[in-house]
Amino acid sequence: MGSTTTAVSGERINRWHWLWILPRLAFILFVGGVALLLWMSDRADKEEQRATLISDILWLEQNLRFHLARNEELLGRIDVAHTSDAKAFESFARTMFGFESGLRQLIWLDSDGAVKLAHPAITNSGLAGETGEAIPSQQSYRLAHSLGKPVYSKPYPYFMNDWQFEVHVPVSREGRIAGVAVGVYRIRDLLGDSVPWWLAERYRISIIEDSGKVLVSRSKVESTVTEEGYQVGFDPPGSGLSLHAVPYHAPRPLASLLLSGSLVILAMIVLWSLWILRRHVLRRQAVEEQLRQEHAFRKAMEDSLDTGMRARNLEGEIIYVNPAFCRMVGWSATELIGRRPPMPYWADDILDETRALSDSVLAGEGPEVGFELKLKHRNGNAIDVLIHEAPLIDARGQHFGWMGSLVDITERKQADERARQQQDRLQSTARLVAMGEMASSIAHELNQPLAAISSYCTGAANLLRNQTPANEVLPALDKAVEQARRAGQVIRRIYSLARHGEDRFELLRLEERIDDALALMEADLRQNGIRVTVDLQAKVLIEGDPVLLEQALFNLFRNAVESMRDTGPDQRQIGITLACADRYALLTIADRGCGIAADVADKLFDPLFTTKVEGMGMGLAICRSVVENHRGRLSFEANPGGGTVFHILLPLVPVAPQ
Amino acid sequence: MSTTTHIVDDDPAVRDALQWLLRSRGVQSQTWASATDFLAFANHDLCGCLLLDVRMPGMSGIELFDRLRDLHCRLPVIFLTGHGDVPMAVQALKDGAFDFIEKPYDDNALVDKVLAAIDQDTRRAVRENSILCLEQKLTTLTQREQEVMQRILAGKLNKVIADELGIAMRTVEVHRSRIFEKMKVRSAVELSQVLGILGDKPKD
Repeated sequence: MGSTTTAVSGERINRWHWLWILPRLAFILFVGGVALLLWMSDRADKEEQRATLISDILWLEQNLRFHLARNEELLGRIDVAHTSDAKAFESFARTMFGFESGLRQLIWLDSDGAVKLAHPAITNSGLAGETGEAIPSQQSYRLAHSLGKPVYSKPYPYFMNDWQFEVHVPVSREGRIAGVAVGVYRIRDLLGDSVPWWLAERYRISIIEDSGKVLVSRSKVESTVTEEGYQVGFDPPGSGLSLHAVPYHAPRPLASLLLSGSLVILAMIVLWSLWILRRHVLRRQAVEEQLRQEHAFRKAMEDSLDTGMRARNLEGEIIYVNPAFCRMVGWSATELIGRRPPMPYWADDILDETRALSDSVLAGEGPEVGFELKLKHRNGNAIDVLIHEAPLIDARGQHFGWMGSLVDITERKQADERARQQQDRLQSTARLVAMGEMASSIAHELNQPLAAISSYCTGAANLLRNQTPANEVLPALDKAVEQARRAGQVIRRIYSLARHGEDRFELLRLEERIDDALALMEADLRQNGIRVTVDLQAKVLIEGDPVLLEQALFNLFRNAVESMRDTGPDQRQIGITLACADRYALLTIADRGCGIAADVADKLFDPLFTTKVEGMGMGLAICRSVVENHRGRLSFEANPGGGTVFHILLPLVPVAPQ
Repeated sequence: MSTTTHIVDDDPAVRDALQWLLRSRGVQSQTWASATDFLAFANHDLCGCLLLDVRMPGMSGIELFDRLRDLHCRLPVIFLTGHGDVPMAVQALKDGAFDFIEKPYDDNALVDKVLAAIDQDTRRAVRENSILCLEQKLTTLTQREQEVMQRILAGKLNKVIADELGIAMRTVEVHRSRIFEKMKVRSAVELSQVLGILGDKPKD
């Protein structure tokens, strides 16, 4: 049974095993989704960033262009007053410089292209001449002069890796070109002035020649640029310059970082908890398997036991029985479990005693050691069991019932009974043999003088018949008399041997002698199913020989038991009454046996008279002899309800007057 | 030949009473207090009867009976038994005891049994005695005389005997007369009668 259970549960486990794939699948989907989400948000971020970049750089270009255009316009407004002397020009230049215009030098060229005024003054043309061209650029001047429009020169390197370019703005007065105002821009400064800080923080802004050479770049943060930037033409003012912006690898927003980080952590937690769960479940399965095996082992052990096990709850309801118990009583487990007292296996004749015993066990007042009890098999056979009861304690330490172990001792008891009967028979045989031996010895003792007497007398008679003189015959007769006396002595000795005499008398309680005699009979009483009722109406103190009295009582009880052989089982009972009347104790022993036939009654107390097959006819003779020896009287009468009543009258110990 | 009845009983009164009883019928008796006492005295020549109590302290009557047989003492034994000893006595009877008598007994019947036993034993003694004498006489015969005697008993005539033995007829006659003289008989018929007893002799 146990093995099939295991197989079924194993199959069930296998069938539901695919359930284990679900959490894994869900986990993979979850991680994939999260990764996709992150990637998408990242891409959106990037696109947004690029759009910002483009708009920012367009704005910057616009701003620069506006800047330059304003400067053009301001330069174009230079008038005579400003160009009249150096001082005025200086103040004009300072004004111009003050607008964060990016201008670093202002030069006034006359209509011939000669430098009239410059602020700051041109100190070292050599330094600026790295381009190999004159400063300011003659070419641009000429172009501006001829076109009458502002012209921008090509950038040229300047000191300290800086680059400069110029703007030539022709100034017309009264319809003719009065001169050209040249503004020198230093590209680094231009960027510095026009690019706001917040832009510089986000992008690396550079100005690139058309050859791709970076002229100047501005950035606030020293950091490697990894991503591709955006380039926008910066054409009209600058010849071949373009503006390039590269966003810094800006730190991701904390929220997104936190989000993705927490997602990763969550995923890991989920993974970890899944793993833990799996490990837990595996361990649980292992434990379950172990438990199953343990259970199967225990069950096999219980099933193989010869000892019956029966558990009851506190109400006495059967909650468990093992197969051995079922075999013992012949009822199946399903029939027994749930039963309440009285149980079907209780013996009918001791139902009340069994119930009392069961109640005392349930109340926790049962015998501490094992006790013997008679039960009934379903087929009606009586079974003797030895029961041990132990409290059942559950996992929380709560007492919830009683577990009883029952050992079948029927055969042992029967064997004991047989051994006892055998013993009894042996003892009785031994008694018979001993008695026979004694009788034979007595007979021999008596035979000798009798034989001698007989021989003397016969001899004397023979002689007298032959007319022998009397004096010759006399000695024989004298000897015969002597032998007759000897025979009398033998008889007297035997008599004194049989009589105990009164020197062993002691004060004793008659009820104790009754108890002791009953204890000797106990096995016989139980075996024959005889009930004994003892009615002690008084405590009786008498003087007597305890051993002899016990023997007499034992004989009377045994006669009572044996007389009830053919009495119905429910009728078998012995009633013992002890009462005091006057100066006598009256003990009555009433049985429900076969009674005493009238022709037997006269000889009842005669020695060697018996109605039993194996009897010696000594029992009642001894009883009467013992009772009379105690100055008492033994009598009997028919029991009105059938059977015999024996009366023993014994004198009480005279109570000393108070 | 004198015969004596031996009484073996541990009880002096019983011994004395039995002796008295036997004497009242003229039977001589001798008493023994125990089996061992009698055994010390016993020999195979005894003639008469033995009254033996079965139950005695020390050696029992049955045991004494066995020991006497070992001694070839053929005294007839009458067992005196108590009530419980009958089977034992019956066994003893089978083993060759003369009789047993159960206590309490009829005294004169006991004496009768004793007399019968004495009579039987006397006859036995007489027969045994004559056989003994005969055997003694036979031993006095010479080799030749025995040869001649066998032929005489076979009923052969002197002449035939002389022929068979290769001796003179006269010599045979001398042998014959000497045989008769030694065997104390007067004729061949008497010789054959005397030797007939020998043939009846029990094998033991």
